[in-house]
Amino acid sequence: MPRAHLMTPLRRFADGESVIEVEGATVGEMIVELDRLFPGLGEMLTMGSSAAVDGLIHAEPEFLAVEPDADVYFVAPLTGG
Amino acid sequence: MTITEDRPAYKWVGTRPIRHDGYDKVVGKARFAADRNFPGQLHGAFLRSPHGHARILAIDTAAAEVMPGVKAVVTGADFPDLPVGNPERDTGINLMARDAALYVGHVVAAVAASTRAEAEAAAAAIEVRYELLPVVLSIDESMADGAPLANPDNRTAFSGSDDPSNLATVTPLERGDVDAAFEAADVVVEREFDTAWVHQGYIEPHACVVDVGPDGRADVWASSQGHFRVRSQTAAVLDWDTARIKVTPAEIGGGFGGKTTIYLEPVAALLSEKSGRPVKIVMTRDEVLRATGPAPASKSRIRIAATNDGELTAIDGWIGYAVGCTNDMAGFVGAMSVASYKFPNLKMEFVGALTNTPRSAAYRAPSAPQAAFAIESVIDEIAQALDMDPIELRLKNAVVEGDLTSMGGPHPRVGFVECLEAIRDSEHYRSSVPEGAARGIGTGFWFNIGEQSSATVNLNEDGTATVITGSPDIGGSRASMALMAAEELGIDVHRITPVVADTESVGFTDVTEGSRATFATGMAVVNACRELVEELKARAATILGVGADAVEWVDGAAVAADKDPLPLAGITAKAKGTGGPLTVTASLNAGGAGPSFAVHCCDVVVDDETGRVEVLRYTTAQDAGTAIHPSYVEGQMQGGTAQGIGWALNEEYVYDDDGTMLNASFLDYRVPVASDLPMIETIIVEVPNPAHPYGVRGVGETGIVPPMATIANAVSRATGVRLSSLPMSPPKVLAALDER
Repeated sequence: MPRAHLMTPLRRFADGESVIEVEGATVGEMIVELDRLFPGLGEMLTMGSSAAVDGLIHAEPEFLAVEPDADVYFVAPLTGG
Repeated sequence: MTITEDRPAYKWVGTRPIRHDGYDKVVGKARFAADRNFPGQLHGAFLRSPHGHARILAIDTAAAEVMPGVKAVVTGADFPDLPVGNPERDTGINLMARDAALYVGHVVAAVAASTRAEAEAAAAAIEVRYELLPVVLSIDESMADGAPLANPDNRTAFSGSDDPSNLATVTPLERGDVDAAFEAADVVVEREFDTAWVHQGYIEPHACVVDVGPDGRADVWASSQGHFRVRSQTAAVLDWDTARIKVTPAEIGGGFGGKTTIYLEPVAALLSEKSGRPVKIVMTRDEVLRATGPAPASKSRIRIAATNDGELTAIDGWIGYAVGCTNDMAGFVGAMSVASYKFPNLKMEFVGALTNTPRSAAYRAPSAPQAAFAIESVIDEIAQALDMDPIELRLKNAVVEGDLTSMGGPHPRVGFVECLEAIRDSEHYRSSVPEGAARGIGTGFWFNIGEQSSATVNLNEDGTATVITGSPDIGGSRASMALMAAEELGIDVHRITPVVADTESVGFTDVTEGSRATFATGMAVVNACRELVEELKARAATILGVGADAVEWVDGAAVAADKDPLPLAGITAKAKGTGGPLTVTASLNAGGAGPSFAVHCCDVVVDDETGRVEVLRYTTAQDAGTAIHPSYVEGQMQGGTAQGIGWALNEEYVYDDDGTMLNASFLDYRVPVASDLPMIETIIVEVPNPAHPYGVRGVGETGIVPPMATIANAVSRATGVRLSSLPMSPPKVLAALDER
């Protein structure tokens, strides 16, 4: 199963968990499952519209496919100058 | 000088052709937004709040509306009230106050008149009744128990709370056991730091012309880092359909993050709609400094633990950013910047706090310079305490591929070690420190972003090409697009015309920020060219009478066995007969922007009598991945460094107790000029980004991250006293010397 990694500020919405294994063939499916486990977490992950999947950061990754052993790091919106 | 890993041999990538936009800029033909003028055009001017925080009780525009030349007046009442939570609500409120003025300079009303003087006179005649409210001007004031709200609209992002708050974001980061690490440490250094608000200092003030026709469609000419964002933000703020608005990008006279948002266009649009005439608004320098986004001021406490052999075992600290009058991600983004060292134990908190000052904006690598100033200063003190070479200490702890980033994931392939080695081995670092001077080292990291880009490549009938993108060229991206297209197509770079097209002539493209244009838009150009080459091969097969699989593309020509090479121009000449125009569009949402590191080295002398710091020599090494046009990369490195030197030594907003900026001109807000700076030497390090076809990493932002710490470390070594407050202006240096 892919692993969802939560940055410290997000852990308060997941009973303090930092790494959660959840089913999902896409990042979006993982978010749905995470929200089922921890109601409200999905909204926070959607507000955070970037994710690092296997080391590469993607903006709005809802439909990004994830491998069964993928590590997905949820990141709040990133910006630059 | 360039230090390069093994890579393919390129014909065009990595060369230094004359820039495509160079001629127009040299002879004055380049057209900036303020250069646009239209028949019947009106001029806009603003009435701005003289108060740092005040409820607006009433606005009387009657006298202004009948003054000579006046054609339209708008106030907050003319704008839709977007709901709390709408992402552009704050943008709209920042460009036109509604119930309250949130800082000195906040726009309260605007006038369009036949001349600028008439518009200014009418704006001054508008009467506003205010109820003064408490003004919040610092992080301490903002976070104090019982502090008045700087903006009652604000909610703390990602908190789940709906309570009004002065906190924009609170971002904790934690890993390992910090307490145990500090207990076991051989050396611990702890310090507090502060930095001032600083402006991006672009030479060209914000400007636009907007013409709303009788059909309600708006033509916008604007100076910005992203005309698609100008369109989307203008549409959102006015609650208009996006399709009503066309934005044509002007040449841009500097942005550095400060032109990633809008201040003028919706106001000009409403004035134009009311008057039925084009409306032009050009900010004065005073308005730019008083009312457009500075980089946040900051305050921090950093404690770092180390072993006697130089292993950095833990970092613990707090960094606060004064983000201005509306919510901002500065505090959160700052948390992303602690990614240069392994630190097995880490406990940090990053906070954004609202103040009654202008809404802050990005400045190159937003929030990272403030964090790097504090952290790199403490690391330098640890090197001194351990009597270690500052580069060797950093090399011992520098992240490499697989080490953790701030957000928790592993770094991809990065070039931090290579940059440290480049400075260590440089002639500058190996040279003796000049008599009476001292040397400082500092480093910086920025993650860069990808996002959406589009490109259209048209081949013309004579074999020349036009490369059309939607990325405003703020740092040489047109030349880079042409170079990558030349490499792909195999034609001379000057047979390619790179164009930045309006919002109706090219696919959607995100704003030029996050060092993304050459990375992401360049990737769209490469994809379009590669698809075009496949089409060229198919057309060539038709012309040559061979199977499609028999054709290869070699150095700008179709090559098939037993046939003479067919150059690109020979194929485009027969386009009509082989299927029509040769054109391809590619769009993408680019993932995998490569993180970038920089290492700086400088020599300074400090005048004991005046406190003036003179930078004698400065060298910067930065990982560019692959430098598409090395001159532009060097320019970015030098530009970021020059701005960082200003941030370090002179630049600061000076406010009085009511929040009025006292130095709103370039005479008093002191940016460095050429005579203040040495030649900034550059070493381009090339560790290709595996996620880009040419290995590109963004280079526009990282250069501003290290200078403040680099100079502070040199000054501290020169004086024997640690400078922890920016800017290190002569009065502060003298005060520090007195305390020595």
